[in-house]
Amino acid sequence: MTYRTLTALVGALALAGCASTTTVDDYRPTSEPIDIEPGEKVAILGRRDAGHYETDTDFVECLADRMGQSDFQIMSEQEFIDALYPWFEPRTAPKHLKRLQRLMQEPVLQEKIREENLRYLVWLDGEVESHGATGAMSCGMGPTGAGCFGYTSWDKEAVFEAIVWDLVDLTEEARIQVDSEGTSYVIGIVAPIPLLTRVESQACSGLGKQLRSYFSHEGR
Amino acid sequence: MKYCRYITGLLVLTMASMAGCATTLNVDVEQTFPEVVAEPRDLSATLVMDQEFRTYQAQPNAKTRIQIGQPQVDLMTKAFSGLFAEVMVVSSREQVRPGTDLVIIPSVREVQLSTPSESYLNVYEVWIKYNLDIETGDGVPVDSWFLPAYGKTPSSYLLSRTTAIEDATIVALRDAGAKLMLDFYRIPAINGWLQQQAALQAES
Repeated sequence: MTYRTLTALVGALALAGCASTTTVDDYRPTSEPIDIEPGEKVAILGRRDAGHYETDTDFVECLADRMGQSDFQIMSEQEFIDALYPWFEPRTAPKHLKRLQRLMQEPVLQEKIREENLRYLVWLDGEVESHGATGAMSCGMGPTGAGCFGYTSWDKEAVFEAIVWDLVDLTEEARIQVDSEGTSYVIGIVAPIPLLTRVESQACSGLGKQLRSYFSHEGR
Repeated sequence: MKYCRYITGLLVLTMASMAGCATTLNVDVEQTFPEVVAEPRDLSATLVMDQEFRTYQAQPNAKTRIQIGQPQVDLMTKAFSGLFAEVMVVSSREQVRPGTDLVIIPSVREVQLSTPSESYLNVYEVWIKYNLDIETGDGVPVDSWFLPAYGKTPSSYLLSRTTAIEDATIVALRDAGAKLMLDFYRIPAINGWLQQQAALQAES
């Protein structure tokens, strides 16, 4: 009975630990789907200009994978910055629409965008932060064995913003903010049992789903 | 006899570990860069990249050497091809053909490296400081331009030291190309020279 209770308790904690709350806020000037022709490409680019953090490359790749499950093509981050080198490097990338409009006045850039069949750019900015660590755990080793006892937890928050720019009409099509929060636990019952929240994955899933719905032909 | 073997073994192990500690890390950066997307000006330039520049080996600290010769030659050649309609690459000043508008001689002033153990940040950072000596085709100095570039790894998590330094160096080299494209024609001396050329053309 005790064993069952303990298993149930660990299971319940695991489920609670894995749970996270994801909020997706979006702003679009219209509810119409974003126009995209077959063969046109959407590039996803992470911001790299901030000093204290960088948008995680894995998150950019995760979003590209999620959006890649659609009927339009996704251009990878590296492919995009190489194709338009050096205008989307951390030093040169346009941070605002006005700067993009000025940059795109260059005929050679317009030509390259046309040649690559690029239509939209998704600018991704954000990071995952951990805070609020509580509890204590101690691990030890003796002649008869080793083990960890105790309990520790911490909160994780993933906040990302995606801005969709039309590279042909040079307009902002959408702005989405996703906020995913959760708590991770490690319980030490001889062996440490990690129960980790997957906020980054949840944020990626929420953002990918939302972005895909904008470009979806099904909604028309 | 048994102890003798044990001590010999210990000595060998100690020597091996000491030799391991004294190892210099050689990072060979092998990278080609994309062609730049730019409309070059109707001017010609000769890039003088000597043997030292072509095989440049930076030593940011006593234990690290970074070979950046090949990638920096590739980067400079491609970046200047986006600035000038005609670019010639030579190995010495004597090889410059008459008629070229500008002669550009790049050199590396310094390469700096910051590792997580020094900065307590989870990133590797590389700074490359270039100097560009710019002359007219006739050998009249126009400017000596300082070109700093910076690169870092997004995170050093799960990266080997060699890979992390290589990645940060590649980002720094790309940054050098970006700065060159962005600022070269904004150098006051170059801008003045351009205006002078335009005035001379208008006169003739």
